[in-house]
Amino acid sequence: MRALLVLFLSLPLVGQQAAPKPEAQPAPAAQPKPEEKAAPAEAKPAAPSEQQAASPVPAGEPVISGSVDFGYRWVSNVGGSLDAYRSIVNLGEGPKLTGLDFTVQDPKHRLFDRLDVRGYNWGDDPYTTAHISARKRSLYDFNFDYRNLAYFNYLPSFADPLLDTSKGIFLNERSYDLRRKMSDFELDLLPGNWITPYLAYSRDAGSGHGVTTFVLDATNEYPVPDLLRDETNTYRGGVRVELRRFHATLEEGGTTFKDDQQVYNNLTQNYGNRTTPYAGQQLYLGSLLQAYGIRGDGTYSKVLVTANPFAWMDVYGQFLYSQPNNDVHYNQYNTGNFALLSSLLLYNGQQDLATATAKMPHTAGSLGFEVRPLRRVRVIESWSTDRLHSAGIGQLAEQFLLPNSASLSQVAPLSSRLVMNYNQQQVDVLVDVTSRLTLRGGHRYVWGDGQDLAPVLSPNAGGLESGELRRQVGLAGASFHSGQKFSFNVDFEGASSDRDYFRISLYDYQRARARARYQAFGTLALSADFSILNNQNPSQGIHYDFLSRQNSVSALWTPAGGKRVTVLAEYSRSTLRSDINYLAGPYFATESSFYRDNSHAGTVLADFALPAYAGMIPKISLGGSYMVSSGSRPTSYYQPLAKLALPLCKNLFWTAEWRYYGFGEAYYLYEGFRAHIFMTGLRLTK
Amino acid sequence: MLWPLPATKPVPAALRKRRRSAVALLPAVVLVAALFSSAALYGAQAQASKPAEAKPAEAPPAENKPATYVGSETCQACHEDIFKAFQKNPHWVVQTDKRRGFENNACESCHGPGSKHAESASAADIRNPEKLPPAQTDRTCLKCHLNQPTHVGRLQSSHAKNQVSCTACHAIHRNGPNGLVARKAPAINELCASCHTSQWVRFQLPYKHRLPEGAMSCVDCHNPHGGFRPGQMQYFAGNEPGCFKCHGDKRGPFTYEHAPVRFEGCMTCHEPHGSANPRMLARQEVRYVCLECHANLPLSTAGAGTVLGVVPPAFHDLRSPRFRNCTICHQKVHGSYVDRMFLK
Repeated sequence: MRALLVLFLSLPLVGQQAAPKPEAQPAPAAQPKPEEKAAPAEAKPAAPSEQQAASPVPAGEPVISGSVDFGYRWVSNVGGSLDAYRSIVNLGEGPKLTGLDFTVQDPKHRLFDRLDVRGYNWGDDPYTTAHISARKRSLYDFNFDYRNLAYFNYLPSFADPLLDTSKGIFLNERSYDLRRKMSDFELDLLPGNWITPYLAYSRDAGSGHGVTTFVLDATNEYPVPDLLRDETNTYRGGVRVELRRFHATLEEGGTTFKDDQQVYNNLTQNYGNRTTPYAGQQLYLGSLLQAYGIRGDGTYSKVLVTANPFAWMDVYGQFLYSQPNNDVHYNQYNTGNFALLSSLLLYNGQQDLATATAKMPHTAGSLGFEVRPLRRVRVIESWSTDRLHSAGIGQLAEQFLLPNSASLSQVAPLSSRLVMNYNQQQVDVLVDVTSRLTLRGGHRYVWGDGQDLAPVLSPNAGGLESGELRRQVGLAGASFHSGQKFSFNVDFEGASSDRDYFRISLYDYQRARARARYQAFGTLALSADFSILNNQNPSQGIHYDFLSRQNSVSALWTPAGGKRVTVLAEYSRSTLRSDINYLAGPYFATESSFYRDNSHAGTVLADFALPAYAGMIPKISLGGSYMVSSGSRPTSYYQPLAKLALPLCKNLFWTAEWRYYGFGEAYYLYEGFRAHIFMTGLRLTK
Repeated sequence: MLWPLPATKPVPAALRKRRRSAVALLPAVVLVAALFSSAALYGAQAQASKPAEAKPAEAPPAENKPATYVGSETCQACHEDIFKAFQKNPHWVVQTDKRRGFENNACESCHGPGSKHAESASAADIRNPEKLPPAQTDRTCLKCHLNQPTHVGRLQSSHAKNQVSCTACHAIHRNGPNGLVARKAPAINELCASCHTSQWVRFQLPYKHRLPEGAMSCVDCHNPHGGFRPGQMQYFAGNEPGCFKCHGDKRGPFTYEHAPVRFEGCMTCHEPHGSANPRMLARQEVRYVCLECHANLPLSTAGAGTVLGVVPPAFHDLRSPRFRNCTICHQKVHGSYVDRMFLK
């Protein structure tokens, strides 16, 4: 990683050496404003092209432009919970390469026409990314993406909020300190040609450690260290054929997967040891080694087709098929003193060996068309299906070491089946009532069926339980545009179901969404967004009542074209209500789950250009975001910030940034934190 | 004329009649669409080798003659800044490629014949796709981009149905690092957030995917060109939810599956845009997430009202804090390789 960091830093320097330093930096080609696009010659701004023509870069030499940001970050002493800070923010101290972004354009088109390199947040930051793209017209288009994301999650309240109100449980069970690294390579050959082959490779790997639980037959659970390592590789290749009236994409791919999780115990006194006697004996965990060896592979096929056999008709279809398989090798060896509740047996050791295979053939497809029977009418019809069958089969061999040096062995089959068949048919009719107003209406019918293993405690344990899906949905909407000044869009869905898969699935629901954008003045743009979802399942024994609403407004103010001041402000108010009944053990008393979340959230960011000096303009940005919620988990989260960019010379800026993170929870005070973060550095541009 | 777009090709009355009669024959048309597509392939190959069809017609003598093509160099005389920038734009290929039918007429391939505009210099005499109704703007783009992979999802996309045109996201003239569309994660997010304000605000909550930090962008999960999964979700490995691209360890297949993961996806339990609850859960504590389905209720009869997973894998005394976080023991909640109750 450090080598890559050095490489990224040195690349623009190499580029800078190659091109003689210009005496006057030409301005980049200005992006024309919409109103300028149709302006006659007299009204056009000073032609940047003339400045480009005066570029001192020798013709034929690669042209490099870009910027590098680097600096040092300090983090104040985190007040409150450092674990919560790391779970939510996780920014650390030290030297950082916060941004690297440069483009090389080769007028001679030797190896490439254009090369883009970007890298952000290097230097042990929690979110490190890199991107490289190179393209040569009509020959190739190459893209590479890399991400290295930290996933730290160690929240006392998550494990068991009420076990110890001072700080959750002793060891936070189900905690993680992981890194996920993802790489994507994609190479398109002959881009823009009527036939374009492509190849791609992706890798997703996670590794790290955490705390999990070792669970024994419902009599006890022990927090134990956990090593995690998994990796998925995806290979794919295909060809796109693009003709005037027909297109087809054929892709074939494959995946490999491995998961080598290991759980162990090296504590002589595990915090999960049972302190109250069970059947007259203390239960404790001595040694433990639990290892998962999962190896998987799979293939998939993808076919996409579009055609417009007539000028008034577009047809499309896709067929997707995949079949991932996993082979399972599981090994567990533990010693101590344990109880087997089902056999009322006490034992001192256990060895488990399991092998299994799981397969999941999965077919999906869709077919549809758009016809334009009249000038102002479009009809869009589509069918889609998604069919998935998963089956697992294997065997678990267990051997228990009893106190009297005897042993007990048993073999249990592992077998499961899951079936999911989903189908959807939808028709939309869109009518352009006027050039500004479009109305649409439609109907969607969703149906399907599914099967899964019946729960152990259900009357048909060992068999399968079935579910069905039947849903009729009415669709309506309208769009109104008044040039580029005003636009309004509203959508509505109303559904009625008589069968559904789960208690909280969409059943009888109404969903509406409205958006409006208004360019009040040339300098002020306003937008508003409203959405609502009301879902009810009145079926006997369910009585689910769900309602969520979101209202947002935003404004962008750019007086004088944003030369001096730019202000962006957003505010959102959301409410969520969910009520459903359940029976709580052990006496199966009826209880209700009431979930409420009422939150206000907002963001303001103002950019100011300070008075210029020596032809250079320093800039300052002030703002931040906040979120305050009440309800089932009252939370507040503040993130104010201030940034300063001070030009030192033509291509060199001094940057400074301050951020504050303040997080608090009314019910879990021990998870609150406060932190100030300062960063200063330099920004080089070319 | 609203439909179809090219102003140089008025629709004959006979063709209009044929369209109306075609509506009645719609089902039959769909059934044989594949055959037509095959025929179209053959025809397309033949057409691809033909010279451009959009060549300007012979100019009629009347004063109100239709506008004709004048060539991009005429446009350059007034719009030199746009013309210069456009030369480094991917769309410049329209100007130079004979196969596309607009050789030397790249500007007019979208803006229409420009002779009248060239004479009057009036914006009223030229077509500006950005100011057209969205459906017409799209048809302008689809003249070239109709038969491409992006078009597969377009017809099912809510963007297309909500009259969000291609130019709402794509800047056609622009040259520079972002080219025709935002490529960097922060720029992509800014673009999407300009309409999807409510979704973007969710990312200000403490537990969320790392979009504000620039580690991800909206298009990592959503395909803006559309798809047949709800929410225009991306795919992984052909036809699986895009979530598994980064969360490969949750993909399976497992010996014992947790049905909601397969039936309704990760959003059954998680709020992917952000939540005030740890791990982006949909409820404040784990037990409520589980109990809303595993309600301990007896199974109802088959048919209407039957739902899956009502009976839990075990009965516990929920008064005890020990049993209030189900995933402490049922830890393999995304699916287990060896245990039916997801204990290991």
